[in-house]
Amino acid sequence: MKFRIRIDESLCIGAGRCVVQAPELFDQREEDGIVILLQETPDGALYDRAIRAAAQCPARVIEIESGDKPAG
Amino acid sequence: MSEAPLFPFKRTRRFDPPDEYGRARAERPVFPVTLWNGQRAWLLTRHDHFRTVLMDPRFSGEFARPDFPAVTQARVAIDKGERAFVGMDNPRHGHYRRMLTKEFTAKRMMALRPKVEAIAAGLLDVMEKKGPPVDLIEALAVELPALVMCELFGSPYEDHTFIMSCAAGRHGLKQSPEEAHRTARALVDYCRRLIEVKEKAPADDMLSRVIEEHVLPGTLSREDLAEICSMILRAGHDTTTNMIGLGTMLLLQHPDQLAELKRDDGLIDNAVEELLRFLAPVQFAPRRVALEDVEIAGSLIRKGEGVFAISPSANRDEAVFAKPDAVDLHRDASQHLTFGYGIHHCLGQGLARIELQVVFAMLFQRFPNLRLAVPAQEIPFKNDMQIYGIYRLPVVW
Ligand code: HEM
Ligand code: SF4
Repeated sequence: MKFRIRIDESLCIGAGRCVVQAPELFDQREEDGIVILLQETPDGALYDRAIRAAAQCPARVIEIESGDKPAG
Repeated sequence: MSEAPLFPFKRTRRFDPPDEYGRARAERPVFPVTLWNGQRAWLLTRHDHFRTVLMDPRFSGEFARPDFPAVTQARVAIDKGERAFVGMDNPRHGHYRRMLTKEFTAKRMMALRPKVEAIAAGLLDVMEKKGPPVDLIEALAVELPALVMCELFGSPYEDHTFIMSCAAGRHGLKQSPEEAHRTARALVDYCRRLIEVKEKAPADDMLSRVIEEHVLPGTLSREDLAEICSMILRAGHDTTTNMIGLGTMLLLQHPDQLAELKRDDGLIDNAVEELLRFLAPVQFAPRRVALEDVEIAGSLIRKGEGVFAISPSANRDEAVFAKPDAVDLHRDASQHLTFGYGIHHCLGQGLARIELQVVFAMLFQRFPNLRLAVPAQEIPFKNDMQIYGIYRLPVVW
């Protein structure tokens, strides 16, 4: 089961908390540290990590669509 | 409590924020206070308001505004002299900050870890050679962040004593405006000279790269870069020093938890988050001023009134952290607001986290029997400083 991640790049301050929490899902641009979303619809196994990354982002950049949260 | 008591408040217990915060969270979370000059300001004591206000464009973080709130007159002098992006709103803030963010990415910080470890090992060697008792603040807490700054800036080792002296001269609640101004300018002068040196002899460091990418092409003036460097040196030293001092003392006061930390190497990252949550040394920032009337949680903040986002209180918010007044190195403390929130969220948080993870892990590995050399009551705390901390921490092992 997949879920969806959206980012609002314009808000990103390049703190990199997302990368520390979920390097499979996020990276930072070499030139200015702005977030790069590596997977838009990742596997459900990464859901909890994605939630943690979103919660720790200090600029509310990351939105996780929880409507289709995988069961189990 | 009176209608709008004088701020700041006094602590009654050394490791807990003033009792007024807990009462405010329960009764009036957006809490009115009076500043030293009679100005009205508001405290954000809860976690949710802290975050919403710091993301709200109806509040400004421009230090230069005449109505910008400050806890002392000296702080006003520092604010009005601030030329770097910590005191700017967007879009100017983002314009400058983006020139630096690539130097502070998660990957860059991870790459710095071995250097931080080498610096820590060197300082622990010196401590060991000297033998107990040692003042841990002097021997480790002040030295480590200064040497890490030298590494970041590529400045010569000898400069770290100057960097330490400038940081130490700041942030006093009783400091005179003249003194505040003088130390701030001395640091900018130092940065100006360092930029000249780096321009002539570039090396593999942050400063050389920023000069090459922004100063030489003309997108950043030397003057602006000197102000930014000075801001980074000011923001990154004292804060880290105080976390090291407070964190060590807190761990020594909780021997059961310290034992778990020593047993389990994997606990350190989590433990550092809990120390950051519990200790929150930045007591009177972030600050904002309302650009229009705004009502939050039944309190009407008028245009021109100041707001203090209080991390020592938000980090003890019962709605977010169970048993918030207990230290628990195993809890998930990562929602703490010790590094602020929104566009001014600490630029150096990744580096600070690495410094703390390295220093606490290595300190207790090297000296498993570390303990206080004097009774705990005799340890002097910084009750007269804006950034909370410890003055001296004599230890034996
Ligand atoms: C444990 C140590 C640290 C703590 C608790 C801390 C805390 C904070 C806080 C609360 C802010 C927000 C201030 C505001 O909104 O007015 C901030 C901003 C900042 N910090 Fe840190 N900091 C620490 C270490 C560092 C380090 C190591 C550096 C640099 C190497 C650094 C550089 C900065 C800068 C440049 C800003 C301004 C960011 C901006 O305005 O965009 N800090 N810090
Ligand atoms: S944590 Fe948020 S602000 Fe930081 S890099 Fe990731 S998306 Fe950007």
